[in-house]
Amino acid sequence: MNAVVQMTGVTKTYRSGSSARQVEVRALQGVDLTVGQGEYVALMGPSGSGKSTLMHIIGLLDSPSSGSYQLGGDDVTKVPEGVLAKVRNQRVGFVFQAFFLLPRLTALHNVALPLVYRGMSAVERLKRARASLESVGLGDRMDHLPSELSGGQKQRVAIARALVQQPDLLLADEPTGNLDSKSSDEILELFDQLHRQGKTIVMVTHEPDVGARAQRIVRLRDGRIAE
Amino acid sequence: MNPLENFRMAFESLWQNKLRSFLALLGIVIGVFAVTAMISLGQMATAGINQSLEAVAGRSIFVQPDFNAGGNAQTAPIREEEMEVLRRLPVRVIPQLFTNAQYESRPGERRSITFQGTPGDLPRLDPTNKIARGRYFGEAEARAGAAVAVLSDRAAKDLFPTGRDPVGQEVRLFSPSGSRAELTVIGVLEPPSGIFGGLGSSATVYVPNEYIWNNWPAQTRGNYDFVVLALNREANSREVQRQVRQIYESRFGQGKYTIQSTESFQGTLATITGILQGLLGGIAGLSLLVGGIGIMNIMLVSVTERTREIGLRKALGATAGLIRQQFLIEAVVLTLVGGALGVLLAAGLLLLITAVVPFFPVFILNPVTVMVALLVSAGVGLAFGVLPAARAAALDPIEALRFE
Repeated sequence: MNAVVQMTGVTKTYRSGSSARQVEVRALQGVDLTVGQGEYVALMGPSGSGKSTLMHIIGLLDSPSSGSYQLGGDDVTKVPEGVLAKVRNQRVGFVFQAFFLLPRLTALHNVALPLVYRGMSAVERLKRARASLESVGLGDRMDHLPSELSGGQKQRVAIARALVQQPDLLLADEPTGNLDSKSSDEILELFDQLHRQGKTIVMVTHEPDVGARAQRIVRLRDGRIAE
Repeated sequence: MNPLENFRMAFESLWQNKLRSFLALLGIVIGVFAVTAMISLGQMATAGINQSLEAVAGRSIFVQPDFNAGGNAQTAPIREEEMEVLRRLPVRVIPQLFTNAQYESRPGERRSITFQGTPGDLPRLDPTNKIARGRYFGEAEARAGAAVAVLSDRAAKDLFPTGRDPVGQEVRLFSPSGSRAELTVIGVLEPPSGIFGGLGSSATVYVPNEYIWNNWPAQTRGNYDFVVLALNREANSREVQRQVRQIYESRFGQGKYTIQSTESFQGTLATITGILQGLLGGIAGLSLLVGGIGIMNIMLVSVTERTREIGLRKALGATAGLIRQQFLIEAVVLTLVGGALGVLLAAGLLLLITAVVPFFPVFILNPVTVMVALLVSAGVGLAFGVLPAARAAALDPIEALRFE
């Protein structure tokens, strides 16, 4: 089994507070984490445990202070920001708690957005976006604005947007945090389905019953992996 | 990523905020409108003045002794000999005498009037002189020194205050030495046209040069006071002016004559209007600066408002460079649209002015002016978009996504 995420000894230290009284925050203190191809991992831990920081590093939105990180077999520890953006675009699909759909774009154009940054032609982008929306069951909502969609539908648009990138890794940050229980179930069902199709998923959550649906649970405590 | 995508997105984003975009670009519209209108109005004024000037003075060269430099009729004479040489140039030579006469406005009260000697057929030699009534004296009458007079519009009013038609009447004038002259009025000239009409209309009695030499004291036969050279259509004013200067300087030495052309006068006028245009354009340009600051302000608001959008775009793979480009293009599109509207407004105003105000006879909107106006608008967008775009590009995606 090929490792999609391969982390060894990753630490992250922040300086926070005003410059006069700076406090060093050691958010991660040596994390070793491996996520294999097709694995479905839940990342859990109380607030302040460093799980958000870890997620940002996995998603290439942040870089580690020390240690090494390989994504899909390539070292991404010391890569300039411009290249990192490209890697993010091709390998990581984000699903956020607050959906983050652009309010003035239709579902279809929201889904096509990541492909704009690949320099893909408009026709090709929209073709792929349509297919992606159909795969999450929103073939009949393509021309709706986010304000015309329910919470569950919005999150499905966001998932379609992540899938259209055909990423190595789906990174979901509390994807059911803003949803009622029925919609939550539908979304988690969709993740189960994606897992069965062989997608690699890392899901950050603090809800035990959400984490329970994953193949494996990684618990963080005080910047370290607890088990 | 294709930069055209960014242009499309810029239009979309501006279109989605129509009212705000419109208000933001209003400053640019007014600035470009003001600058374009000022420059074009200046050009139109110059054209109008030149037209009027040609109506009054035609295209001509004027030669007289340079009195300021100490020249006089002895050191810098205008002689018949030189007329022969000047006639070989592509000009109509109109040597003239310039003196005065007196007339009795009421019994016992004498007033001065300009008394000018010309060759015959002046309206043919210099078409800016037009006969209103009667006729001008011909060559034969001029050579014979006939006692005939043509009156300027003002002179006709002064000499015949009752409004009687002067043509065919006798006028009695007195030379500076007091001798009496009886002349028959044979024609009246039209008042000069154009904006210089008022300035150019003096009370003048035109008589043959020969008549003045015969009857006026202190006038030497064969010597004139000044000469007007009316340029033929194909003649090059500058070249002819140079030849005239050479003729006089080779005979009498340098710096004794004033040799002016309407063209050099037009050049001076163009310089003056150019300076005025620059000043007014500069003041109008200040409104562009204000407009630019307005754009910067609205772009900064837009960046703050769209913090989450910027964070999302970065998470989805937009580089800092692409985000910068996106906001720069938005600013440039905003100001370009404003500039285009400003030019259209200016064109409308100029058309209206040419239709309504007789002082501006021609509509001028130079393509160069339009190009410069649009380039400057784009430049303003670029200059004032830099700061907001840099701020957007520098946003940390984690912070931006957390932003409420």
